[in-house]
Amino acid sequence: MSDIFSFNGAEGTGWSQPSPISGDAISTVPISLRRADLPRWPRASEPELVRHYTWLSQRNFGIDTGFYPLGSCTMKHNPRVNERIVQLPGIDRVHPLQPEHQIQGLLSIFFEMQEMLEVCSGMDQVTLQPVAGAQGEFAAIRCIQEYHKDNGQSHRNKVIVPDSAHGTNPASAAMCGYEIIEIPSSPNGFLDLDALREAVGEDTAAMMITNPSTLGVFEPEISEAADIVHSAGGQMYYDGANFNAILGKTNPGLMGFDAVHYNLHKTFSQPHGGGGPGSGPIGVREHLADYVPSPVADREEAEDGGATGDGYRYFWRTPDKTIGKVQQWHGNAGAVVRAWAFYRRYGRELELMSEHAVLNANYLRHRILNPESDVREKIPAMPVDGATVDFVKHEFTLSMSPLKEAVGVSGKDVAKRLLDYGYMSPTLYFPMIVPECLMIEPTETESIEVMDKFAEDFLAILSEDPSIVTTAPHTTDVRRVDEVQAARNLVLRHPCEK
Amino acid sequence: MDQLPNLGREHEMLSAMGLSGIEDLFSDIPEKIRTDGPLPLRPPQSEEEIWADAQRLLGVNIDLDSRPSFLSAGLARNFVPTMVGMLATRGEFLTSYTPYQPEVSQGMLQAMWEFQTMISELVGLPVSNVSMYDSSTAAAEAITCAVRVKGRKATQKGVVYVSEFVPPHKMSVIRNYTQGGGIELRPLKHGTDGRIDLEAAQEATGSCAVYVEQPNAFGVMDEGITRLKEIIGEHTALIVCVDAVSLGIMEAPGKYGADIVVGEGQPFGIGPTAGGPIYGLFACGKDYLRQMPGRIVGQTVDEDGLDAFTLTLSTREQHIRRHRATSNICSNETLIALMGAMHMAMLGPEGLERLALRVAAATESTKSAMASIPGVEVVESNNPNFREFVVELPGDARLAVDYMDRNGVLGGFPLGDWWESMSDRLLIGCDERTSISDIEALSTVLSAWVEGVNK
Repeated sequence: MSDIFSFNGAEGTGWSQPSPISGDAISTVPISLRRADLPRWPRASEPELVRHYTWLSQRNFGIDTGFYPLGSCTMKHNPRVNERIVQLPGIDRVHPLQPEHQIQGLLSIFFEMQEMLEVCSGMDQVTLQPVAGAQGEFAAIRCIQEYHKDNGQSHRNKVIVPDSAHGTNPASAAMCGYEIIEIPSSPNGFLDLDALREAVGEDTAAMMITNPSTLGVFEPEISEAADIVHSAGGQMYYDGANFNAILGKTNPGLMGFDAVHYNLHKTFSQPHGGGGPGSGPIGVREHLADYVPSPVADREEAEDGGATGDGYRYFWRTPDKTIGKVQQWHGNAGAVVRAWAFYRRYGRELELMSEHAVLNANYLRHRILNPESDVREKIPAMPVDGATVDFVKHEFTLSMSPLKEAVGVSGKDVAKRLLDYGYMSPTLYFPMIVPECLMIEPTETESIEVMDKFAEDFLAILSEDPSIVTTAPHTTDVRRVDEVQAARNLVLRHPCEK
Repeated sequence: MDQLPNLGREHEMLSAMGLSGIEDLFSDIPEKIRTDGPLPLRPPQSEEEIWADAQRLLGVNIDLDSRPSFLSAGLARNFVPTMVGMLATRGEFLTSYTPYQPEVSQGMLQAMWEFQTMISELVGLPVSNVSMYDSSTAAAEAITCAVRVKGRKATQKGVVYVSEFVPPHKMSVIRNYTQGGGIELRPLKHGTDGRIDLEAAQEATGSCAVYVEQPNAFGVMDEGITRLKEIIGEHTALIVCVDAVSLGIMEAPGKYGADIVVGEGQPFGIGPTAGGPIYGLFACGKDYLRQMPGRIVGQTVDEDGLDAFTLTLSTREQHIRRHRATSNICSNETLIALMGAMHMAMLGPEGLERLALRVAAATESTKSAMASIPGVEVVESNNPNFREFVVELPGDARLAVDYMDRNGVLGGFPLGDWWESMSDRLLIGCDERTSISDIEALSTVLSAWVEGVNK
């Protein structure tokens, strides 16, 4: 084990730096404010740290390591040129408060991204400021909240979410001060329109929903749901987590939504980075356009041809009734630039991306659920599809309940056993409406061969001796981790005692 | 198209499923909501073309390193050790998801546990999470966290006092995050010298929390803040937002009674990046642990008794607790926090101290140079400053910034953009890379502008 806090070189070991430009700088700090003891950080040389972090990286599984079928997260390949682009000084060494004429290139990329997202979603105004999907939800629900206030509708204090929704939906609406009404789904995870009719009323502010649903199924009655919510005076919010499935085929505007968020870290390949950074722009229809977080990128014709040579001068515009800011600068500009580079690869052919995402999901689902008879015979109980539809969109769910009942192997056991085979586990136990759920999303960037092999290995696990599966993983850096002890006996930092 | 391994093999896959066309897979989308025709967007590009366009468009931007720059205003024009970018972009880190499967995520989990330790040491509090989006959301969620913890015993129900010098863009974030919880924000007054008015601060006793910045937005290091906790008492949380680098020479707020410390992590790990991705620091005392937002890594053991790390206290979070979660945060800024951890580890204790001294020296040198320009007055020049200070000009600071810009110097931030009443004031920011020649360049252009105004 490489332990960074055991690196304890001589005092001053560490990165070499120039001297301060003048002596006696410490005297600028009032004596009562001077630091008594320096933090007990490691004292390490560059070779030691390079090896430490390389060792850590080797104990971490990314898309680059292997197949990462994590449902709902769209773990697609992250093109490397994007990382090279964000190292350019024109983004890395730029301050958000620089005068507009100094950042025309950045503004033009922002504008292009706003327009592209508007086109793809059928919305009228996009802002790129929210830095994560959850923050996008929060920002958009805030816009809806202010819109209702301005229309004398501030008594609308409830937000409706289906029970299959991502946890961020109710959490974001609750942070805005809304009461949450959860409505049950009908079989296959479809919206229960009767339950929705019962839930809406004078107090409905909005409904939040993702389509395709978290079961990977397209909601056929989405327009009817929008009508129900709209006739009650509520707004429709689209959680764009599953946008990868529908680009170029349909869009939230056509489905009747008033506001959406996009996950640039899902659909547009911003790397997930072990949990972030993300980027969660929002788009809204015209009646909400004046409320979006400020500023948005805008442009006007430039007589001199403009700094980028496209005939425009770009500028930051403050929407008239803006809710203000949700991040203090312009959002995760670096993520926006990466997503821009990704978009440029596909351009008008983004539809191809969604087609392949859906093709791959259906192919893998077919491979897993229709094994050859000699394979099938060895499996005590096959998983049940979370939705009995002909086609899924970009992901699908499997209930491992039958196997659990037959031989005591749970969804979690199978997930952990997959780690031994060199795969990341699918999303586990979500959505909660599918018992013993595994949620699988291959994305468009996996080959037939990878999916065939995954299906083969997955089915092999189902027929393995249960004692092997229930004690998995066996070959990983550590075995099954004691999460109960972690929570009971909290050790949240190194003691730093020599 | 080099991103789709199965391009051209669609038929093979479809026939395995007994289908004839990809459109079959979309037959569940009702006709009336189908997109009409192809997306009206530009044609696809190759990697070479994208790289060329990126270079061209981003090359139009003026970067901070290309000229003397005194624009800071909450972000740092830093220098990040080369190792950081090279190691953080290793695919195993870069392309991993939140470490929900600890058995194959020990690397990132351990790195984040080390990050928590280094932040805990830096700010003098026992608990740190693995990052917020930035300092503004860290500040906002520190306030909502403090209200959850202190709300019941507070005599001023739902009231939080916030330093009146918090910049408006940050205040806007705080307002958005706190309005839903019915939290009332009241201004914490500053005296004419720019420091917290400790007498007025007594009003905050009995409220849920007090939020201050150290140094404040004008770079003032305020000794009075060390006495605040004593004044407001144990039932009111003290939240201090720090300049992380300053803690190489300034006392850790945990040592003078801060209950929650937040701050911009950006100076450690990443360039200003046009404002993001950066990361917010969030550390607190044990009393706040179960109400804090964000991911936390804990040490534990595996089945065989080996040391192991895992995400813990997840029952606070949205994916478990849904609308009763302490926060909606899901994606955070882990990779940038990793870069910060690498940078901090590279510095070591004395390296941090030297970095802080470099910023302090640059601030002091720039401040004295400005003080010697006739017509330019350093505001409250007796105040000690770190990184930033304010000068009063004989005219609108926006005009001064424009003039300096035309003459190749990024002269600072015109405070009129934040507070109209301060339109003649310029916020000058310094950093470890500010050189003597930068300061000379600033002095020259600012003197020239002042002369022009006075003519």
